[in-house]
Amino acid sequence: MILGLDVGGTQTDAVLIDAGRIAAAAKIPTSRDLLATLRTALEAVLSDVAPGGLERMAFSTTMTINAIVEDRLDPTGMIVSSGPGMDPAWFSVGPSYHVVEGCLDHQGFEAKPLDRTGVQNAASRIIKEGIRILGVVSKFSVRNPLLELQAAKWAGDAFSHVAMGHRVSGTLNFPRRIATTYLNAALYRIHKNFSDALVQILKEKGLNGPRYLLKPDGGTMDLDKSIQWPARTAQSGPAASVMGALALDGCKGETLVLDVGGTTTDMAVVMDGTPLLKPLGIRLGPYRTLIRSLLTHSMGIGGDSEVRMDPKGNLRIGPIRKGKPVALGGPAPTPTDAMIALDLLTVGHRNAAAAAMERLGAPAGWDAATTAERTLHTMAEAIAASAKAFIYNINSRPVYTIHEVLADRRIKPGSVLIIGGPAPQIAGYIEKALGLPSRFPRHYGVANAVGAAVARVTSEITLQADTQRGSVVIPEADVEQAIDQDFDMEQAIALGRTALCRQAAEIGAHENGLEICITEKQMFAMIRGYARTGRNIRLRMGIMPGLIPGWEIGG
Amino acid sequence: MLRASRRTGLVFFPAFDWAISPTHPEREERLLYTQDQVLEEGLLDVDGIIEYRVRPAAFEDIQRVHFCVPDEESVATESHLIAAGGCLVAADAVLRGEVKSAFALVRPPGHHAMRVVHGNRGFCNINNEAIMIEYIREQYGIRRVAIVDTDCHHGDGSQDIYWHDPDTLFISIHQDGRTLYPGSGFPREFGGPNAQGMTVNIPLPPQTGEEGFLYVLEELIMPLLEKFEPEIVINSAGQDNHFNDPITNMNFSARGYAALNARLKPDIAVLEGGYALENALPYVNVGIIMAMAGLDTSFVKEPNYERDYRPQRDDITQYIKDLVVRLRDMFLEGHLEKAACKEGLVIERSRDIYYDTDHIHERQHEKIRCCNTCSGALSIASTSNRGQHILAVLIPLGACKECRKTGLAWFEKAIRGAYTHVYLLDRVRGVYERT
Ligand SMILES: [Zn+2]
Ligand SMILES: [Zn+2]
Repeated sequence: MILGLDVGGTQTDAVLIDAGRIAAAAKIPTSRDLLATLRTALEAVLSDVAPGGLERMAFSTTMTINAIVEDRLDPTGMIVSSGPGMDPAWFSVGPSYHVVEGCLDHQGFEAKPLDRTGVQNAASRIIKEGIRILGVVSKFSVRNPLLELQAAKWAGDAFSHVAMGHRVSGTLNFPRRIATTYLNAALYRIHKNFSDALVQILKEKGLNGPRYLLKPDGGTMDLDKSIQWPARTAQSGPAASVMGALALDGCKGETLVLDVGGTTTDMAVVMDGTPLLKPLGIRLGPYRTLIRSLLTHSMGIGGDSEVRMDPKGNLRIGPIRKGKPVALGGPAPTPTDAMIALDLLTVGHRNAAAAAMERLGAPAGWDAATTAERTLHTMAEAIAASAKAFIYNINSRPVYTIHEVLADRRIKPGSVLIIGGPAPQIAGYIEKALGLPSRFPRHYGVANAVGAAVARVTSEITLQADTQRGSVVIPEADVEQAIDQDFDMEQAIALGRTALCRQAAEIGAHENGLEICITEKQMFAMIRGYARTGRNIRLRMGIMPGLIPGWEIGG
Repeated sequence: MLRASRRTGLVFFPAFDWAISPTHPEREERLLYTQDQVLEEGLLDVDGIIEYRVRPAAFEDIQRVHFCVPDEESVATESHLIAAGGCLVAADAVLRGEVKSAFALVRPPGHHAMRVVHGNRGFCNINNEAIMIEYIREQYGIRRVAIVDTDCHHGDGSQDIYWHDPDTLFISIHQDGRTLYPGSGFPREFGGPNAQGMTVNIPLPPQTGEEGFLYVLEELIMPLLEKFEPEIVINSAGQDNHFNDPITNMNFSARGYAALNARLKPDIAVLEGGYALENALPYVNVGIIMAMAGLDTSFVKEPNYERDYRPQRDDITQYIKDLVVRLRDMFLEGHLEKAACKEGLVIERSRDIYYDTDHIHERQHEKIRCCNTCSGALSIASTSNRGQHILAVLIPLGACKECRKTGLAWFEKAIRGAYTHVYLLDRVRGVYERT
């Protein structure tokens, strides 16, 4: 049996899957105490399960994102070395941020040695401030980790935890590397405490199977190994939904996935079973990061959004949520009330919902049914407009080769898959608004928990080989080795594959025959003064988001 | 969150799958390290810096500018069309008001491509700036345009295309033609009979430093622009004045480029040359983008700046001061030795043009009708050693009745002549014909 648990802003969903079927599901309100919420949800869904029967558990939690949004990060010192370009002071994070001399160029050559005294002075100031957590970042460290390794060493051993920039991602982006390293350092203790407590709860309940946390890229990682990468556990909710859509439907062809929730609607595009990823990484609160993430867009309209009429007689929905729907004792009309008034949904006081619709439409002279109809129509139109803009933006992404310009590959979804509470009620309206066949899976209400339950481990590596410099670097996997003039693409792929598999195994991918995808592959001849002097190979490969082996679409 | 004080559009097209030849300076690798540096700086995350996707230009866009021999397919590859199209995307972004200014960081370059194109000259086939300017005129009804060409090489292609156009001020600042390709660009080349003084060439001595460039900008170029009052300013932003450039001898730095850009504030900058792809381009391009966005560039500096940058020599400073005095006198005080230009008079000139990359020899014979109200009807007979013998007639935008009549008469006569092809570009009616 498999357990999936997704903690949302207002509701927490849990499912228990037995032999590919959903055996139990539970929905409970999310409380301020995350661990209590987890405990309650576990108990709700596991009441009749023998503890030994769980072969896998996966959680999507809000601990780290809440800490970021509520500004409860641990005081963290940063030592940064930059070199030419933007002023590194612009990227200052945390209470004790220090820039020291020293720089690498884009090839990874040391253009200016790191200032050892500068590092030591910065470290002692950080320590003097009572800070014991440190992040070290240098520009172009993904091409050569030397300066970060030196900084970590020279900072001394007074620190309880040190995060290094080159390990967070192989992608070029110095400001994001600073922010991501900072978050991994500043969330370390908070996440470790959470993880320890969760492990304790699971132990109490006798649940000893492998346990995973969901990441924003729709993949999972081993809970115990997540300690090093706390920022990768933040904001995995939208990914849970997309993976749930994939698990329940398969999403063949180009599918637009809509998750219609209480206050928001999230959207994503799945291409033949593989969700699209963001080009760089997710934004967490005010921080733009290099944390791989599914490409999702969130808009402020959901089943519980407030509906009002503007002075011109047009209905406006969201982004505010005043409370529950009127039918459930709430203060303001909502799309859910419209569904109840139209008998699309049987919950709460139907009369209250109808009366609320009547009041809402009165200035325009509409009756309750007309107002309810127009509310759902307006909601679907707004979602459709947002989805069209979302797809337009994806199609406007720059391309850098003649081949790509001429191929002019554009995304054009052929159908819409809707999940979330109001899916069955809104599907018809969305079908009309988007002009695309729309459907919803069975278990549409707990798709997110299913997604967490059956998402496989994902991982990614970035390789750069430069035969002129004589080195190959895979920063995420801590690989740096000398190569000779003949190092070629084939060797690069083999080396990358090995590093990726090792890294994936480290965070919990235990299956054989991992499905590896090369997402970027470039090779440039390096010419100096009309003579070939080297080869520059760039590779990016990963295990893409997908479902665990043996899972059959549908649930 | 870092915010640009001026909204800036960026069109980046490094053409990672195109080269003139594997070891040519115009090869796949050229903008690779620039891309690395731009990405590592996180420039695209800056609020107010917006990256646009390129699109290929159409043959129609080329036909507003060039007479391609024998046709567009033969001289412009996909890469050329995309580089030119990238400039059109930049122009749209600026003219629709989405951004304050834009930088088309595209390759291959274009400023050596002339009106008639038989092949590749100085790494250029079609003139990206001219194609963009004529597109802007057509789409947005703009007339007065200034081009400031800061590439180290004389922008002889752009000069040729705008030689007769009184609505385009073409200023080229470059290494003295006696010491560098293409060997032209002297002050005495100041425009055709209908546009005298609208071409301004500023040849600077080898080893000129950024002091010299910025001095010329302040004392000569800015006053010229003030006087001309263009509706739009284009910068042909070549980066081969850099002290690390392997094929030129100038002494400019990334900071200098940033300062130049911050002072000139072009509406659209278009990359031209620049072949120090590892130790100049990454820093220069970052400097230009930041300057356009209004960000402080004082940290933009080549790693070898302290070691290798030499301040400008005193004798060069003096030479440039004297040159500026002379050019101010010619172009600002109006002491040009203008040729007589009597309405209706047809002036002819002949010249030889060499295509260094493709080894083509071209002989041109040009006729222009002197006119006080328009740019004048233009006819070019062109013969190449590849067996082409063409005649092309241009009836310019805003042509007067008389010039239009003259142009059509030349065309009619040529059709009956012994040419391999005869071309007519009638900008008044928006017609392009080739026989
Ligand atoms: Zn040049
Ligand atoms: Zn005329």
